[in-house]
Amino acid sequence: MPPSTDLLQGTLDLLILQTLAPGPMHGWGVALRIQQVSKDVLQIGQGSLYPALHRLEYKGWIESDWGNSENNRRAKFYALTATGRKQLETELETWERLSAAIALVLGRNAEASA
Amino acid sequence: MRKEWLSRLRFFFLLAFDKNKRQSELDEELQFHLEQATLANIAAGMTQEEARRQALVEFGGVERTREQCHEQRPGWQMGTVVQDVRYALRGFRCNPVFTITVIATLAVGIGATTAVFSVVDRILFRSLPYAHDDRIVSLGLVQSLEKQEFTLGGFFFDWQDNQKPFEAIASQGTMLHACDLVEANPAQLNCIHAQAGFLPLLGISPVLGRNFLPEEDRPNGPRVALISYGLWQDHYNRDAGILNRLIDVDGSPARVIGVLPKGFELPTLQAPDVMMPLALDEGIERKSSPGHPMRTFARLRPGVSIAQAKAEMEPLFVHTQSWIPREIRNDFHLSIRSLRDRETQDVRLMAWILLSSVLAVLLIACANVASLMMARGEVRERELAVRAALGASRGRLIQQTLTEAALLSLAGAVAGMALAEGLLRTFVALAPTGIPFLKRAGLDLRIALFTVLLSGVCGAIFGLLPALQTPRAAALAARATRFHKRAVLRRSLVVGQIAISMVLLTGAALLLRSFQNMQEQSLGMQTGGVFTVRIALPGFRYDTGQKKMAFYLQAEAALRRIPGIRAVGFSDSVPPGGWNNDERLGGFAPEGRRPIPSADNGGPVVTRGVTPDYFRALNIPIVLGRNFTEEDRSSSEYWVVLSRLLAARLFPGEDPVGKRIQKGQNGIWLTVAGVAENVKNSGLTEQDAPEIYYLRRSIAQDWGGRAPVSEVMSGAAPILIVDAVLPPKTVAPWVRSAIAGIDPTVPVETETLAQGVSKLADRPRFETALLGFFAFCGLLMAVIGVYGVIAFMAAQRTQEIGVRMALGATRLNILRLIAGEGVRLIALGGAAGLAVSLATAQLLKSLLYNVGSHDPTMYAAATVLLALVALTATLIPARAAMKVEPVVALREE
Repeated sequence: MPPSTDLLQGTLDLLILQTLAPGPMHGWGVALRIQQVSKDVLQIGQGSLYPALHRLEYKGWIESDWGNSENNRRAKFYALTATGRKQLETELETWERLSAAIALVLGRNAEASA
Repeated sequence: MRKEWLSRLRFFFLLAFDKNKRQSELDEELQFHLEQATLANIAAGMTQEEARRQALVEFGGVERTREQCHEQRPGWQMGTVVQDVRYALRGFRCNPVFTITVIATLAVGIGATTAVFSVVDRILFRSLPYAHDDRIVSLGLVQSLEKQEFTLGGFFFDWQDNQKPFEAIASQGTMLHACDLVEANPAQLNCIHAQAGFLPLLGISPVLGRNFLPEEDRPNGPRVALISYGLWQDHYNRDAGILNRLIDVDGSPARVIGVLPKGFELPTLQAPDVMMPLALDEGIERKSSPGHPMRTFARLRPGVSIAQAKAEMEPLFVHTQSWIPREIRNDFHLSIRSLRDRETQDVRLMAWILLSSVLAVLLIACANVASLMMARGEVRERELAVRAALGASRGRLIQQTLTEAALLSLAGAVAGMALAEGLLRTFVALAPTGIPFLKRAGLDLRIALFTVLLSGVCGAIFGLLPALQTPRAAALAARATRFHKRAVLRRSLVVGQIAISMVLLTGAALLLRSFQNMQEQSLGMQTGGVFTVRIALPGFRYDTGQKKMAFYLQAEAALRRIPGIRAVGFSDSVPPGGWNNDERLGGFAPEGRRPIPSADNGGPVVTRGVTPDYFRALNIPIVLGRNFTEEDRSSSEYWVVLSRLLAARLFPGEDPVGKRIQKGQNGIWLTVAGVAENVKNSGLTEQDAPEIYYLRRSIAQDWGGRAPVSEVMSGAAPILIVDAVLPPKTVAPWVRSAIAGIDPTVPVETETLAQGVSKLADRPRFETALLGFFAFCGLLMAVIGVYGVIAFMAAQRTQEIGVRMALGATRLNILRLIAGEGVRLIALGGAAGLAVSLATAQLLKSLLYNVGSHDPTMYAAATVLLALVALTATLIPARAAMKVEPVVALREE
């Protein structure tokens, strides 16, 4: 089993928004995609995925519509809204700043302890 | 942003109306996910069954996800509150006895506390409506007959010149006096004189115009007046042109120079309509003794205490003391009190007693709420455990409990505020005159909020106890064996309640006994069928004794012609009150003997200026000699009637009839006509004083007024005392019209003697009624508490009782088992309460009349009452337990 990584609070939202950026996708697709792209490091359980999807929908960042899946099953597809796209940009910026800062701190710590 | 809001709003409505559709969509979505996962597993080479199983395992709790998706919904939190409220209300409906008991308990606690606090707040806590109110003091002389500080002109100026502890000192006249506003729309007003420095001392400035100037506060200065806001508003329609207008007060013009602030009250707690300069002639005052009497107030310098001020003023007092005649000098003392003390001293004790008794009631109420909530919590422990097992989080359970407590508090608060309003009105209606600030007392919202919070917290804390504990698996097993710890807490609550209620009960019993003593005592006169007629003659028209006498004699004659009136007499006061015209036993010397010398000069003597019919109207028997006669009224001799007490003091073992007494040194000679039976003459509760009756003769000096008053008459206005055969209600209108026939403009006030006497008992009645009411509330709630605990414990032990009975216990054994528990609690609480009562009853002492603060009968009565009521409360559940059918009890659960 791949190592499970606890997602930082709020990171899941970012991951979902980023995953939906290319085009509409259903819940299963989102989970699968995140798992694939992260090379199985990030496994999103449905227990956190669906509440997150609903939360984003209530916030108006994504919208949902019923459509047919690849194997012709009725499925619920989520797509980014305009607000969602803007939100994605801000979140990406924030994320980059944060990870840069963390990297900096970790790097310095490593030097100090060495 | 706006779009986001719109979408939220849309969802909110969508969800509110479309909940089921949402639910099925979510199910479908999750179902799809599951199928996809199964397919993926099959693709990875699993069998159909294994693939589905793995997918389900990975998926986890569907229900939990569903819940969480729900929780994402905007307004979800609010939805749960609504849900909790609905759930709580349903619970309350199922258990109306619990609900009503809690709400009623809260209502009484909140209502009574709020009402009482609103009344005593001004007396005990709120600052007085003057600047630097904590530094304002009342200073002056006190003596055995006048306990409120007063000063005399010469003293005042001497002190003013030499004092150091005060930054300001000023005086007002001794009392409000009636004055007449003479204009097209005449009115009788209350006037007061005050020095120019008086308002600045209090930090009061007129809302319109200005204060007196020093040159206006001098004899023969310009005649100016400040009028009250009320007079300005009602009489002059808030006309700003009132300034500099001349108004006619008592027949001479005064210029209005200002309007006093709204609601202004003198430090003597009176509200004047018109204030005029005191205008003392300093030169004359300094020379004259005793000088003009006044009430003097002063403001301490910052940092100077009252004790320091008193120490510094003492030498000045000793210096001025030499101006007082030697015989009475030792009876005068210097007194300096804070203004609050002066205003509220005589009601302070009552206020504290009321406040502490109502706080005791609040305590009992809180204990009751706590106990009830705990009982409910314990009963519901199982329910909570089930809910926790079904996935309710701790927070959710706490929220539910808090919602219930809040709902109960809210209902209790609403009911309590209604009760407080009603109680406050009752207080104001019931209260005797002379309780300062009462008329203006309004519900105090701060304290209401405080009590609501307090009781809410009581309920919440004890309601939370079970929710806070990790619901134990044991609770699901529903075996009632683990309530001991909290049962101890509930038992001690009950013991506390009983103790507090015992204290309240004994206090109430003592006051009740005292009140009864007061009511049952003999007044020494008849009150039935007697009524008094007081006539306020406008002083400026009836300005001589001659005019007054003419009016009163006419009135007497007119009243005597009215059918159904047996006797019409005059007096200047009515028992059980009496004037003390500053006369003392030592001031009377029987012929051939020296006056009785003693430290306080033999103590005060009550004087009354009466006509012969006075004794007949009040049915006061003449025990020796004779009554005054109608002929005596025209004689020039000073006839007197002595009370039996006075006769015994002045003429021990002798027959005083016909003897002569000299009044004061080289004073007039009085001749004793007879001796009358003693009459209550110093109020209802004080020791009777010896009394002397002077004959009010038909000469001008004996009828008072501003003209010189005869040596023996007090300056007080004559009062007609009428003994009627017909009911006073019938006669009073005839009396009014008879007097209107003489002068239609004079105000006439009639009052039955019984009303007058009853008014004197107003204060004790008020105290007794209130404390009785609180004791009743306390007892009621304590009993509910006892009942609740015993009933609850009996219910918890139903199974045990079944087992015991199955093993051969008789029903009597069971009764003893359950009731014994109650008896122990009651005995413990009662004993504790009795101990506290005995220790604190001293505080009530000054309110008690003819009953000791440790009166054994009253303590026994309170104990028996409490024991009986509380035992009944334990017997009811105990009897129910006794009737338990063993088979039914054992089969239960």
